[in-house]
Amino acid sequence: MTTTVVSQPPDAPPAHAPVSSIMSARRRRRRTPVTWVRGGGLSTLILGLPLLVIFGLFSWFPIVRATVMSVQTTNLVTAPVYVGLDNFTAVLADPLLGTAVTNTLYFALLALVFGYPAPLVVAVLMSEVRRGKGVFSALAYLPVVVPPVVAVLLWKVFYDASPDGVFNTIVGWVGLGPFPWLQDPSWAMPSLVLEATWAAAGGTIIIYLAALTGVAPELYDAAEVDGAGVWRKVWHVTLPQLRGILFITLILQVIGTAQVFLEPYLFTNGGPANSTTTIMLMIYNYAFQFGDYGKATALSLMLAAVLAVLSTVYFKATSSWSK
Amino acid sequence: MTSSRRTLALTLVGALTLSALAACSSSDDEAAEGDTAATDEAVTIQVAMDEGLEQGAIDAFNERIEQFESEHENITVEAQEYNWVGTTFTADLAGGTLPDVFTVPFTDGRGLIERQQIADVSEQIAELPYAGDFSETVASAGQDADGKQWLVPIAAYGQGLHYNRALFEEAGLDPDAPPTTWDGIQEAARTISEKTGQAGYAEMTTSNTGGWILTTLVYSLGGRAESVDGETTTATINTPEYTEALEMLRSMRWEDDSMGSNFNHDWGTSHADFAAGKIGMFISGGGDYGNLVTQNAMPEADYGVTVLPLEGSDPAVLGGGTLAAVNAKATPAEQAAAVEWIDFYYMEKLTDEDAAVADAQVTADQGQPVGAPVLPVFDKATYDESQEWIADYVNVPLEQFAPYSDNIYDQPLAAEPPVATQDLYAALDPVVQAVLTDEDADIDQLLSDAETNIQGIIDAS
Amino acid sequence: MTDHVSSPVAPTGARPRKARKAGSAAADRGILSPSDWRRRGVGSWLRLSHVLLFAGLVVGGLGPILWLAKSAVTPTQDTLRTPMAIFPNGVDWANLATAWTRFEIDLYFYNTIVLALGSWLIQVLVAATGGYVLSVLRPAWGRVATALVLSTLFIPAVVLLVPLYLTVLDVPVVHVSLINSWWGVWLPAGASAFNVILVKRFFDNLPREIFEAARVDGAGPFRVAWSIVMPMSRPILGVVSVFAVIAAWKDFLWPLLVLRDPAKQPLSVRLPALANYVELDVFLAALAISTALPIVIFLVFQRMFLSGAGLGGAVKG
Repeated sequence: MTTTVVSQPPDAPPAHAPVSSIMSARRRRRRTPVTWVRGGGLSTLILGLPLLVIFGLFSWFPIVRATVMSVQTTNLVTAPVYVGLDNFTAVLADPLLGTAVTNTLYFALLALVFGYPAPLVVAVLMSEVRRGKGVFSALAYLPVVVPPVVAVLLWKVFYDASPDGVFNTIVGWVGLGPFPWLQDPSWAMPSLVLEATWAAAGGTIIIYLAALTGVAPELYDAAEVDGAGVWRKVWHVTLPQLRGILFITLILQVIGTAQVFLEPYLFTNGGPANSTTTIMLMIYNYAFQFGDYGKATALSLMLAAVLAVLSTVYFKATSSWSK
Repeated sequence: MTSSRRTLALTLVGALTLSALAACSSSDDEAAEGDTAATDEAVTIQVAMDEGLEQGAIDAFNERIEQFESEHENITVEAQEYNWVGTTFTADLAGGTLPDVFTVPFTDGRGLIERQQIADVSEQIAELPYAGDFSETVASAGQDADGKQWLVPIAAYGQGLHYNRALFEEAGLDPDAPPTTWDGIQEAARTISEKTGQAGYAEMTTSNTGGWILTTLVYSLGGRAESVDGETTTATINTPEYTEALEMLRSMRWEDDSMGSNFNHDWGTSHADFAAGKIGMFISGGGDYGNLVTQNAMPEADYGVTVLPLEGSDPAVLGGGTLAAVNAKATPAEQAAAVEWIDFYYMEKLTDEDAAVADAQVTADQGQPVGAPVLPVFDKATYDESQEWIADYVNVPLEQFAPYSDNIYDQPLAAEPPVATQDLYAALDPVVQAVLTDEDADIDQLLSDAETNIQGIIDAS
Repeated sequence: MTDHVSSPVAPTGARPRKARKAGSAAADRGILSPSDWRRRGVGSWLRLSHVLLFAGLVVGGLGPILWLAKSAVTPTQDTLRTPMAIFPNGVDWANLATAWTRFEIDLYFYNTIVLALGSWLIQVLVAATGGYVLSVLRPAWGRVATALVLSTLFIPAVVLLVPLYLTVLDVPVVHVSLINSWWGVWLPAGASAFNVILVKRFFDNLPREIFEAARVDGAGPFRVAWSIVMPMSRPILGVVSVFAVIAAWKDFLWPLLVLRDPAKQPLSVRLPALANYVELDVFLAALAISTALPIVIFLVFQRMFLSGAGLGGAVKG
């Protein structure tokens, strides 16, 4: 009650209010052409142009277009025809979809099994190296530097399934093999993931290492005062401190593996017997092998919906952890 | 920031220039449209040249371009590397990145015409002196429903069994008497594999080739992939012939272990491995000798080829071929020039003695093969005549082709499945792969699933 | 195309250094305390594990690359028959020269570098100007633009593949095809929401008084951008640059689709295309040469790479 009284300016009779608002509105309208430029509006727009043009053409427009195309059928020659949800039902009815989803999940799962704990163990061990740490990290990071295409082509040679193949020679030393590697439906996917892990692990190790240096030494001191041994320090101090970064790399890895393309495309082109056909490869084949852009975008949107949820979780996580 | 601003400026200038160019070329279109006979207008066309060629072959190609340009002063020809690959062709077509003259397999001709994705140059083609002489089955691959010839058939082949003579000898087999039955092939494969350690018989399985070669086997056993009755096409995949063909592969793979260790071959890798002596026998088009010795450096003396055994009732050798097409985006002047190039580069050597000799001379000078037998695109007599013209330049070991060339012209030739051919092949790839990589693959189940799948594709197209 | 990069580590990574300065006594220790190291069991166990780790890293990290180097100068038949033997029949140095000319490696290296530089330039341009406008100038439309940019962060690259390809085929408004043009790779690379957000956040954290003071002194937006924002934003643009160059270097699918003309393709697209047409030894030599340059660059700028990778978090290529 008192506040209203105080806030009411004594020399502002209510009758004047509409006039002033009309005046201010008129002033605003008059500002539009000239003062907008003088006030920096134009130069702001010019500075914003690269962003607006590039995002407009190569991000926002294609996103809208994807939505439109998913309810159309087009071969780029004749005019597109509206087909409602036909593309979505056709994709859902494709016998390959189940296989592709399973394969993609399998890839993601294997990538987690191969590629998630190992870099953590390596990073924890490496963080305790006192001399020559640089050499350790350089060695670990080296595979990341190899261009991904070169890595795949090289590993394709390693995976030669004949007894004289590189890997088969090596496993032969200990009396194993020869293994079929890429030439068997149950071996192909693990082989792909093994290469992908080799190519990516170095990056994850370096991230963990950076995160490990972020663990405050005082926490270890405190744990020692409580009489904690090495294992208990790792378990009760290190891992909880890395919780945030572990979660983030987990989500990033899942988002990344859901879009895996290079390995199945170059190693096996989805074979043998569709055992490495991923969702991404299916999208590629829909569009660029069969020219069915409607189905390709429909499947893209469905995958995107799933990934967007993960991305949101990821974004929430990073913004809360980085504050 | 200056550099950034310059980039911005460059971006805008670039965009403007490009749009100006686009505007120019579209106005060219209109200008030329009314006047198709303006053949002396200066034009530049891009023409397909095989991918991954060695320098010698590139030189030979460039020499042909020079000859062409001296005959057609208004036309400039640029070579563009191109190979038809099933998995990227659609993207190239949509992207408009194909050269003005490019080649496609017989399987693609009809679809391209129906979707109007190539230029209608039927009028210019009809004016070619030999337009009416094409053999009927060959010509139809490049014709629309009204019988107008949109694409020029430039080569035809019947599938053949390529074999490595060196591996045959090493295995104690007679390279001059290759197997003539499927049992014989299986037997020879086992022997080669046991004696030499290389794959006795290999099969392509990826990029639609798995379905292609499987269907080849099926044809030779008397089966077909589709039956057409008026408007309706029925997929005939779950048949005794497909089962028999797959059983044969299964027993070679899992009982004899005579197929080596790579079951991920496409056209390129199978040819590379065969040329490198890692494969005893494999099936591919009968005209692949050139690729094997030039792009893949196979020793000439190691090469052998024979016809496929024909067994069962109404068997046939699957035939196919290559069509030359003109890009739909070419202007009328470019289209005219493109047909000139097709006539000059692909056809004259088949129809004109001087051209045949000139071509053979250049080709031979560059160390490229001359005289490897193929199937005629016209009649057999024209083909024989053209072979006589160049007899002096033949540098391939003809006697090594004898098992093929003595028999192929008598074999009944059948065209590839007419509807959705490449999709059908693509759907069969995983079937072949499953049989070769999974010992317990259920052939009946695979075939019945594939048949349902393919029937769906046929009905949709 | 290729982002999904995070900066989660940057703040945590910065914290310990300060912490260490504060409590210098506790510096230079990790999980193990000096007394842990002195304890027999723990210390020797850890030393052993380090030896094993080192051996593992040499075999796993260096091994394949050394094998590639060896096989690059080994005749094909030796590599096929005895892949693990070291030069059973001598060294064939000619492979390297053959590979260089057969693959025209100089041309494709050049293309790769041009693609990386162009993408970098566009990305830095868009991120710097965009971040500046959205964070400092804050026009009326800025809030909408920020929201739109942010929302694309949640849309994975995969959705864009097909519609972006069709967009590049026929760019709206100007109706130009960017197929077979380097712009077709450069321009879409600029639409990286991550870069813009990264730079915007960086600017958000700069004290606003500086900009206000400059404006009061009569400096226009361009002046402020040029003489105040640019010098101050060098570190964040450095981070953006590292990501941009690495991503461009690794990209495969997009240049494969856009650059169909072999004369324009980067190494990553050209190598698989030629794989079928060359002998194994020459092919491996080409792979080795293509790997050598990035490795040399890495070894020279090792510190920057490793700190950049750690600083910026995960880069998904």
